[in-house]
Amino acid sequence: MSDNSAPKNEYEREPVPAKALLGFKSFVGQYAGEHCAGTELMIGPLFVASGVGAFDVLVGLMVGNVLAVLSWVFLTTPIATRARLTLYYQLEKICGRQLVTLYNLANGVMFCFLAGAMITVSATAVGVWFDFPMPGLNDTMPKGVGWVTSVLVVGGLISIVAASGYKMVARFANIAAPWMVLVFVAFGFIALREFINVTGTQIHSANDLWTLATEHLWKGGDPQPGKVKFTFWHVMFFAWFCNMAMHVGMSDLSVFRFAKHSWYGIASFAGMFVGHFLAWLAASLLYALQLHHDPSNDAVLPGPLAYNAAGVAGVICVIIAGWTTANPTIYRAGLAFQAIMPNKSRFAVTLATGALATAAGLFPAIAMQLLGFVMLYGMVLMPMGAVIFVDFYLIKKLGMQDNYAEHSGIPFNWAAGLAWLLTIAFCLFLVYYTTIQDYLARININFLPGELWGMRLTGVQIYFVSLPGWFIAVVLYLVLSKLVQKKGALA
Amino acid sequence: MRPILQIISILALLGTIGPPLIFLVGGMDVDAVKRLMLIATVLWFVVAPFAWERGKPKQEEQVTQTPGESG
Repeated sequence: MSDNSAPKNEYEREPVPAKALLGFKSFVGQYAGEHCAGTELMIGPLFVASGVGAFDVLVGLMVGNVLAVLSWVFLTTPIATRARLTLYYQLEKICGRQLVTLYNLANGVMFCFLAGAMITVSATAVGVWFDFPMPGLNDTMPKGVGWVTSVLVVGGLISIVAASGYKMVARFANIAAPWMVLVFVAFGFIALREFINVTGTQIHSANDLWTLATEHLWKGGDPQPGKVKFTFWHVMFFAWFCNMAMHVGMSDLSVFRFAKHSWYGIASFAGMFVGHFLAWLAASLLYALQLHHDPSNDAVLPGPLAYNAAGVAGVICVIIAGWTTANPTIYRAGLAFQAIMPNKSRFAVTLATGALATAAGLFPAIAMQLLGFVMLYGMVLMPMGAVIFVDFYLIKKLGMQDNYAEHSGIPFNWAAGLAWLLTIAFCLFLVYYTTIQDYLARININFLPGELWGMRLTGVQIYFVSLPGWFIAVVLYLVLSKLVQKKGALA
Repeated sequence: MRPILQIISILALLGTIGPPLIFLVGGMDVDAVKRLMLIATVLWFVVAPFAWERGKPKQEEQVTQTPGESG
């Protein structure tokens, strides 16, 4: 239950005044609740499906989550507590209204797919009671009439509630949050005991527990077919960047502008270590147990996984976790789209957004490839965070104008727009290097080397491109600003 | 009345996590855990809204300004 002492005014186009600032506890509650979502029940199992080892998952998550918290503390909150503006207003001052509209569109589309994955998670719970074929680990297309009906009903209900108003769901989510966190932890306790029982392990020391972890829980080895092998680095970068849009991408400027002090960013620790450590590990144990019982059953279906562990309470948790997180996501996507079409009613736009998310939820490809999708989501929104960082800290020191769009009155700051799009293009080029190289070779264009200094050049996995991408965005924005501002000759 | 409801809701939370913890140390069978968790779940959702809710939730207002959770 996060706090209820909400500021009445939302201060969307002005800095938050001192009287509206919130205490540390507000942020701890909000982060702990928000990061215990339905998708955690997919992510933990997908780690196991990716053949992760015990050391890699435990230490990788710890390091990655600490880096995520530090990103909030050192990148997001110092700007949030000094500017005290929403992300959108701050971007509008830098980028201009048209570019922010484009950013909103990208944001809204990513939200739709994310909500689709959450609907998929909730729909798997329906399958516990109605015996219809559910998607497998590598399924990409809708799986039969039962699955389609389940997704349509769940997605339809979520969309109607989101369109009707968000208030009831927000209240319900606040009530459910502490219970949900405990059910996630309970999944871990139950699965761990089941492992002890089925393996006949005797736990007398931490050493025994570690042996169980390395030999049965997170065994490492080959990933499931169609999955990338996860190492320490994959886990670390995933934990660090799965909320990249929020910290490095600066979306949480809108949250932390209400913080009294910049160190309040450390409140994100609650979300990271409850949701992105305990919940992921607990969910991963459920899936490892399923594989232990039947290695051929590689389907990641949160509904049946939770039901097997905790019975009906577990299924209720899956439904509520999916519902309470899909709902605000659809609502937010609706708001992003409404900013583009201000003449349409919020009800109609949110309903249409929900329909889009439901359509996305029909395709299990998004949920089953959630690790990659979450990285893509962060990568697409990250460059704008770099733009804000440069504009706030560097641009004036280098003799240029900050908040350029506001000062020059332009609707589209090409420096920011190109920095954003070229960074995404650069990152995608790295990810699809081999594919692009093969395609060009087929049409007799061979300028992309296959080897460099004896090393074979292959693509960079999506988990690793966003870090160099951030620096590319910084450099691009600085160089392009120099060119644009010189040409614009802002007086 | 409210303090009593708060105590009941805290007991419901203990009923959610207690049985799995007892199961972990080998003191209960899994079917009993599932039953107790369901009872605790129902109890929590019946009592918690009256025990803890005050005024308008903050999330409702912040949601209009911030992109959401991604995992």
